[in-house]
Amino acid sequence: MGKYTLVVTEKPDAAQRIASALDSRGKAKKMEDNGVPYYIANRDRKIVVVPALGHLYTVAGERSGRNYYPVFNFRWVPRYVAERGAKQIRTWIETISKLAKDADLFVDACDYDIEGSIIGYCVLKYACGNKENVSKRMKYSTLTKGELEKSYAELLPRLDFALIEAGRARHEVDWLYGVNLSRALTMSARDWSGKYATLSTGRVQGPTLKFLVAREKAIRCFVPIPFWSIKAEIEIAGSIFEAEYEKTTIETKKEADAAIKACKGKNGKIEKIDIKKFRQMPPKPFDLGALQSEAYSLFGYTPMRTSNIAQRLYLAALISYPRTSSQKLPQSINYKTILKNLSKVSQYKKLAAELLVKEQLKPNEGKKEDPAHPAIYPTGNLPEGELDDSERKLWDLVVRRFMSVFGEPALRQSVKVSINVAGHRFHLRGRQTLEEGWLRFYGPYVRSEEVLLPPIKEGQAVRVKKVILEDKFVKPPPRYNPASLLKMMEKAEIGTKATRAGIIQTLYDRKYIRDERMIVTDLGFEVLEVLEKYCPAVVSVKLTKELEEKMNKIQLNSEKRENILVDAVEILKPVVEKLKEKEKVIGEQLSKAIKRARIEERIIGACPICKTGKLMILYSRKTGKRFIGCTNYFKNLCKTSFPLPQKGTVRPTGKMCRRCDWPMVLVRIRGRRPWNLCFNPDCPLKEERRERRKDE
Amino acid sequence: MKCSVCDRESVQEGFCELHKKAYENVLKKYDLWKKALEISWKEYLSEVAKNPLTGEWAREVAEYLRKSGDN
Repeated sequence: MGKYTLVVTEKPDAAQRIASALDSRGKAKKMEDNGVPYYIANRDRKIVVVPALGHLYTVAGERSGRNYYPVFNFRWVPRYVAERGAKQIRTWIETISKLAKDADLFVDACDYDIEGSIIGYCVLKYACGNKENVSKRMKYSTLTKGELEKSYAELLPRLDFALIEAGRARHEVDWLYGVNLSRALTMSARDWSGKYATLSTGRVQGPTLKFLVAREKAIRCFVPIPFWSIKAEIEIAGSIFEAEYEKTTIETKKEADAAIKACKGKNGKIEKIDIKKFRQMPPKPFDLGALQSEAYSLFGYTPMRTSNIAQRLYLAALISYPRTSSQKLPQSINYKTILKNLSKVSQYKKLAAELLVKEQLKPNEGKKEDPAHPAIYPTGNLPEGELDDSERKLWDLVVRRFMSVFGEPALRQSVKVSINVAGHRFHLRGRQTLEEGWLRFYGPYVRSEEVLLPPIKEGQAVRVKKVILEDKFVKPPPRYNPASLLKMMEKAEIGTKATRAGIIQTLYDRKYIRDERMIVTDLGFEVLEVLEKYCPAVVSVKLTKELEEKMNKIQLNSEKRENILVDAVEILKPVVEKLKEKEKVIGEQLSKAIKRARIEERIIGACPICKTGKLMILYSRKTGKRFIGCTNYFKNLCKTSFPLPQKGTVRPTGKMCRRCDWPMVLVRIRGRRPWNLCFNPDCPLKEERRERRKDE
Repeated sequence: MKCSVCDRESVQEGFCELHKKAYENVLKKYDLWKKALEISWKEYLSEVAKNPLTGEWAREVAEYLRKSGDN
């Protein structure tokens, strides 16, 4: 093939985009070697673009095997050496090595962030044979043809070694924490019970679990406090409005009753009308955290899901690089060109036109910055193929947010009407948008209520139709959900934008938490208790944050990776020693918790027959078949049992049947939609269904 | 010694670490309930035990105290 430039990308999709953008005819040739795709582009010279498959190399212990700890000596190895099921990585690396032999110029075109820099560095160093010091770097934030061509024309002379060092430190420290602590927990439990269950914790996972446990304890220990509130239904111009009592919280029943008694049957008089006009500024451009949070509250997408959808939109060159913490939109992205392109979509045509006539476009930027990437914005490219529903929704959200940040502030008005009823004051509130401004661009995603009041004046008498006393209780603190936990992690500055969503997922996978509104399981409690008791340093938010800050300093060249590693080992050594010393006690505590967790997973609810036992999923010793039985069976008190489907998985839902109020189970069978099953054979719903079928 | 409510080891007042915190909360909140509703300790425990907003551990403690007639 002759000599050529070898461009390394992070993923196959990016390789295809980059190759097409760099080929002078826009048609790169796709090649394949042992199932590994690569592309040949012709420009001023031949360019071979080869993708990695995310991380091809990882940190592993110098000694093989998984059944020992502590372990402080490590090296970087191909993933297939360290991980089972990563066989494909071997052929991938072989292909890259083969292609590297005839290359005389190397370009790292992986994403410009910590992970991308590490991926590119490892490929160039290990697969290409120490080419990391001669390689050049492409830096771009979108996969659009224009930006890729510009980035290739203005190659950075070398890799960003500060970013690489920061990435290496992060991977190595996280590996040291993860492998030592997780092995200590897993092996303690396994050696005590003889049964294997993966338990894990990590540098960020431990402190995150600590947040959850603290909230769970507050909820489980919560005692509600009673209070009362009063509302009055006021008739004005033939319409009924609800006015709130001046004291939103009345602490004693006596006081509440006295107020009700005084107001009952009396009419009111408008004492005062306060009108306030205020400007509501446009929102800030999206960074990843804000996008995840907005997508959760609007569409219910978990942070992980949003991150994956955003990554797909980025690879399709529809939005800019999503793993950013920036709230800035530099002028260089060319606002007008993006808006002009977006105006080709009918639903954005009018809105984009409104912005395009503006003399100056100035985004309402936030304070947060990211050295590598701007905030998330639409590239202006339009979808080439059909987007799926979630991709379409997220793209629309990014587009509308982008337009909103250039909008004018909205002008809103709030009205507070004070009504005197027998010496007691009630407030009637109205809210109205006077000038839409940016709200028009954000359209369906605006969450502001309009309450319009009829014309009224001070001194006007009004009829009080009803005075209502409401019994209320102070509510417990809310449970974390994936979005609010992610926000909390961001606020506490633990983890990175790229890792937080994955850490939350791991907490679910390890069964430390369950449900969308997160409930900490017994196992989660026990794991944290062990860590807090024997190694509080590894769940300390403060220490984690400090380590995080030090690692960030590497990126700025003001700290060395080696120092961080020494710090990490110094923290870990005494911790692991203590864990080893207490292995038996810890093993017993965790094994019992695992056993309880396994039972808890199978408990469906209270037995509706004997009322004292619990129904659980059991397995017949004779046939191995599963069924539902009562725990009182073992005490010879209740013989209740119900059959269950034998295919797929069955798990408790925690929900009750809406007709018979029996607990239900969720059945999942491959290829079918999961369904909630009420196993009560006499459930009226079943009878009704049978009747309906007969009629049909 | 075991916790009066669960299987864990008791640390103080016959409760484990977790139920002790709930117990303290149940005790602490009585003053507010008394002021709000002018109710007795027993009535308070019944109200707390049946309130759906009460936390699991606080409910268990309230039920235990109610049944054991602790005043």
